[in-house]
Amino acid sequence: MEKIAFWYGCNVLRHGDIIHACLDVLRGLGFDAAPAGGPDYCCGTVKDPNQTAAGGMATRTVGRFNAMQRERVVAWCPSCHSHMHDFMDRANERTFGMTYFVELLHEQRAKLKPLLRNPVPMRVALHKHVGFQELVPVNRLVPELLAMIPGLEVLEHEHVAPGYMCASFAGLPQALKDIHSGMVAAVRETGADAAVTVFHQCYRELCGLDAAGLAPVYNYMHLIAKSMGLAYEDEYKAWKKDPDAAAALIGPERIAKVGVQFYERAILPELRKRPDVS
Amino acid sequence: MASLPREQIGARLKAFEEKEVERILGACTQCGKCFEVCPMTKYSKVPATDGRKVVPGVLAVLRGERGTPEALGWIGVCTRSGSCVPACPESVDPRMMMRLARMTALGGRGLPAQILPKEDPDYFNRIRAFGRLQLTDDELKEWS
Repeated sequence: MEKIAFWYGCNVLRHGDIIHACLDVLRGLGFDAAPAGGPDYCCGTVKDPNQTAAGGMATRTVGRFNAMQRERVVAWCPSCHSHMHDFMDRANERTFGMTYFVELLHEQRAKLKPLLRNPVPMRVALHKHVGFQELVPVNRLVPELLAMIPGLEVLEHEHVAPGYMCASFAGLPQALKDIHSGMVAAVRETGADAAVTVFHQCYRELCGLDAAGLAPVYNYMHLIAKSMGLAYEDEYKAWKKDPDAAAALIGPERIAKVGVQFYERAILPELRKRPDVS
Repeated sequence: MASLPREQIGARLKAFEEKEVERILGACTQCGKCFEVCPMTKYSKVPATDGRKVVPGVLAVLRGERGTPEALGWIGVCTRSGSCVPACPESVDPRMMMRLARMTALGGRGLPAQILPKEDPDYFNRIRAFGRLQLTDDELKEWS
């Protein structure tokens, strides 16, 4: 049994269902997968304005993975994976192999196929970006994985967003608007039942399209999980769809863990945010 | 890491970045092909059409000099599409060039900031909060 570390990253903590589904898939494929993530395993890519901090975070995180003594680290987050490739391991000695999660699934597709037992009768349009493809050609690999799900069809379309994932467009509203509008148009023109994202950063943004009733949106792992019969609830989408009811859905015990004031100041506005596609 | 003297924190990353800056400054011929193929130039606050006039401003930022408004505008909209990488006839890796220029312009490499950093003070606290909402206490303890 190969021992791996599953480096899920930071921002995917919004989507516990995706993390849990990934771990079930890894275990189903026969890996001894040790999860690691959150700010204490941050790659440092968000610290462009402070390379002292970024360098310290990179050294700490590579050191932690070295200490885990796993054969390879399998990254979920494209930012973490590319930052490891471009910066972290150019300045630190790592003693583990690096694989991106989609690459691993594709490498293991013969073992994955029999796990995809349940039909998911849907026609979907993949949300694509220009970037990241030279590192991992996810625009090709993810449709090949999805095509193994009984009943699921991936439809061709021409919309390819710039950048490598949607979260980098937070300060560029016109570009984000073009990306959202283009994706809604792709879903409508192809007659797809839903848009499907590769990355959680895109899912977080495009989830607003679903909440606004413009297009159903899933991450590809939601569809793989569904076909495997995994029943993790996409709570983020439920909260996003009804932000006024989100506190009740979350419940007072969990709200207390983050504090009511923080929830109202820092979380609720994100849940209320809707994409501009006017 | 806590025992490292402050000046040594991040020193290896900064040394790598210095080497990369030197390599890029030595290799780039300022042909402007990277700018021409970039899908983000239309979103710049200071639009330009001729890459041969914009790229020298990016290299100036890397040298620690003041960048032109057009160069800073382009740096500000780079989202790592990477279309520039195969377009470069000198294998400079313009995506790395733009990333280092962005770090420099944001003040990340110890030089005066030329673009105002937009840091979200709640960034990591929000991630931690979502973690508390989505994972169990035991998972958080064991996985992070």
